[in-house]
Amino acid sequence: MSLDQALQTFFAESRELLQQMEEMLLFLESSPEDNEAINAVFRAAHTIKGSAGMFGLDFIVKFTHTVENLLDKVRDGEVRITSDLVAELLQCRDHIEDLVEHAHGGGEELAADKHSRGEQLGTSLLRFFPGALVKSAEKAAPRQVTEAAAKLESSGGGEVASDTWHISLRFGRDVLRQGMDPLSFIRYLATLGEITSLTTLPDALPGAEEMDAESCYLGFEISFRSAADKKTIEDVFEFVRDDCEIHILPPGSKLAEFVALIKSLPEEEALLGEILVASGALTQNELEQGLKNQSQVDAPLGEILVEQHCVPQPVVDAALEKQKQGKDAKSQEARFVRVHADKLDELINLVGELVIAGASANLLARRTKDGAMMEATSVVSGLVEEIRDGALKLRMVEIGETFSRFQRVVRDVSKELGKDIGLEISGADTELDKTVVEKIGDPLMHLVRNSMDHGIEVAELRLQRGKPAKGTLQLNAFHDSGSIVIEVSDDGGGLSRERILRKALERGLIAEGQNLSDSEVFNLIFEPGFSTAEQVTNLSGRGVGMDVVRRNIQALRGTVDIDSEEGVGTTTRIRLPLTLAIIDGFLVGVSASSFVIPLDMVVECIELSEADRRAAAERNYISLRGQVLPYLRLRDLFDVSGTVARRENVVVVQYAGQKVGLVVDELLGEFQTVIKPLGRVFRNLKGIAGSTILGTGEVALILDVQSMIRMVSGKAEKGLVA
Amino acid sequence: MAKTILIVDDSASMRQLVAITLRAAGYDLIEACDGVDALAKIRGRKVHLIISDVNMPNMDGITFVTEVKKIPEFKFVPVIMLTTEVQESKKQAGQAAGAKAWVVKPFQPAQMLGAVSKLIMP
Repeated sequence: MSLDQALQTFFAESRELLQQMEEMLLFLESSPEDNEAINAVFRAAHTIKGSAGMFGLDFIVKFTHTVENLLDKVRDGEVRITSDLVAELLQCRDHIEDLVEHAHGGGEELAADKHSRGEQLGTSLLRFFPGALVKSAEKAAPRQVTEAAAKLESSGGGEVASDTWHISLRFGRDVLRQGMDPLSFIRYLATLGEITSLTTLPDALPGAEEMDAESCYLGFEISFRSAADKKTIEDVFEFVRDDCEIHILPPGSKLAEFVALIKSLPEEEALLGEILVASGALTQNELEQGLKNQSQVDAPLGEILVEQHCVPQPVVDAALEKQKQGKDAKSQEARFVRVHADKLDELINLVGELVIAGASANLLARRTKDGAMMEATSVVSGLVEEIRDGALKLRMVEIGETFSRFQRVVRDVSKELGKDIGLEISGADTELDKTVVEKIGDPLMHLVRNSMDHGIEVAELRLQRGKPAKGTLQLNAFHDSGSIVIEVSDDGGGLSRERILRKALERGLIAEGQNLSDSEVFNLIFEPGFSTAEQVTNLSGRGVGMDVVRRNIQALRGTVDIDSEEGVGTTTRIRLPLTLAIIDGFLVGVSASSFVIPLDMVVECIELSEADRRAAAERNYISLRGQVLPYLRLRDLFDVSGTVARRENVVVVQYAGQKVGLVVDELLGEFQTVIKPLGRVFRNLKGIAGSTILGTGEVALILDVQSMIRMVSGKAEKGLVA
Repeated sequence: MAKTILIVDDSASMRQLVAITLRAAGYDLIEACDGVDALAKIRGRKVHLIISDVNMPNMDGITFVTEVKKIPEFKFVPVIMLTTEVQESKKQAGQAAGAKAWVVKPFQPAQMLGAVSKLIMP
């Protein structure tokens, strides 16, 4: 027979018992006084718990334990069977069945939902317990004073100077009658160490005529050398402890060990007794005895234990010190709950639906013109907004963890390349959406490797150029108008405009004589199939990298651009939206169509003056307090039908340092925008980032401000060239 | 000759587990599923140690121990009760009936072996 077979027996047996439990519970509902049924239910829970424990199925034990506890109270008549209780117990039964099946399926760790179900059931069972709060009261350690200070039992002798444990044993009269053989305990003790001396004390032996052959009169004084701890030694005698007098004194050398152990315990808040027990200086039984005495004497537990000769004073002092530390540490500890990412996604989705439904309710309320109704919906929408922010924040994680992984990468890669490069990280506490963090790792890795491989020069060249021999790579993150910016910068050779242009011509990416700005030239390296590296290393330079980087970032609705100065260094800047799900939008109207501009990008709104309207036909910019502001007319851009409105407004938007004015008819105000992706058909649409649903159920398009800015600046430059 | 241990428990898996452990340590085992069954099975046999569960149908562990201690041959046979921590009152009742040793469920096989070897040698 094998252990596995025994386990199979357990599963079969549990199913049977659960079946029985169910029948009996249903039976109890109609005849709550039936003791046999109550017993059967108890036995089922009891047996499952016992056996589950043997197989190490702790999650079954833990839950069933509570149920069993309650059933024990029912059996003792402390708790009466009610239909409410039966219903609760049936649910518990189902949960146990769940757990058993889970174990049968080979599951080790319990899924969070099962776990929380168990907790929930356990908590709701608590209300059936008589005096439900007794436990916690007990924990607070009763400090009541009773009058007479009971005389403390002294074990005769403090710590022993020698290096052996001293065990003093006086067996009870009845041990032999109970089938206990004193010799077998001492023999068992010998398996734990070496008995260096043993003195038998026959003092209690009466005269022959009074002696009872079935009684035990013997006592022993044992010197025992062993590496075992106090608890182990005490446990040898656990079956006779109640009837016998046993004192176990630690060897002198153990003292320092206890103190050291106490100091090394984890810093948690703990009771003095718990600390002493954890260090092994005190056994659980001694502690219980001490607590019992404490309820009679008004004295701190530590003093009592010293008085009892259970623990020497220095050990108690060490434990008290530890306890203080633990309390201090507790208050600083951050508390975390692990949640499955899917659950968060689901929550965000629901919040999105809630936002849409809320907007619709708001709109309807406004139509009714019912003041109370409008007030109610506005309170609701305020709360929804908070829930939205809260839910989104749940998914925000600090980028620091992603950054710090690069310490290792930089170290390894610089070794591989034979360059001395240090990594500097700043803005590690900048938060961004978890999904973004997950996807940004690869592009970042590529950029970092690129910088180290092609950017930072070898030490000799650096010295020649008057730079420190050690290269520096910087990772920086910060928030900037609704997006997060991640910068990878190096103090290397920088990009060579000449080389890039030459290469681009070679590859046919640009035409001869094209006039390109620096940033346009640098951004050429993101074109597919572009690589300027003179030598392909196994790290990078195969020309597949940078366009993949850009594609990955664009997939996250982000952008990437490069700043570089030859001989000084290169900075690659990634801009990503903070979140991919819900944003604060600014709703504008053009004729009957509505558009949403991400609110974070809106700088200001101004009215388009008559003068500007007239001038609009001739030039594509207006003057914003004396500054040139290029603008786009949404009506023209999206070819919106309908007559031109009598008045128009300009929404000034900013992205990556560039400002553009968007001309619209109406400003409709802030709007919580749930981003719905566009279908595949619309993938190539320029200027549209997504769609959203308005309170009326109509669809509004979300403007892609960054691409609009690109359109405008492209047009402006073309205009200049022409 | 190997010493004989009686294990009384209504849970077959528990019996099997105890039996596997103790047989491996060189003891002979008699298995019984409740008190009545146990009393029938040990009649006329030499038993060195009894391990009994408390909660069993037909005849529970306490009654069984009380009964078995009435039989002269078994009067001095040590008894280990299998208890759970919630059953403090049961433990006391067991001790009154003459079962001074106990092992708290759930236990590791090594614990069971330790408890047995405190009381008898293989």
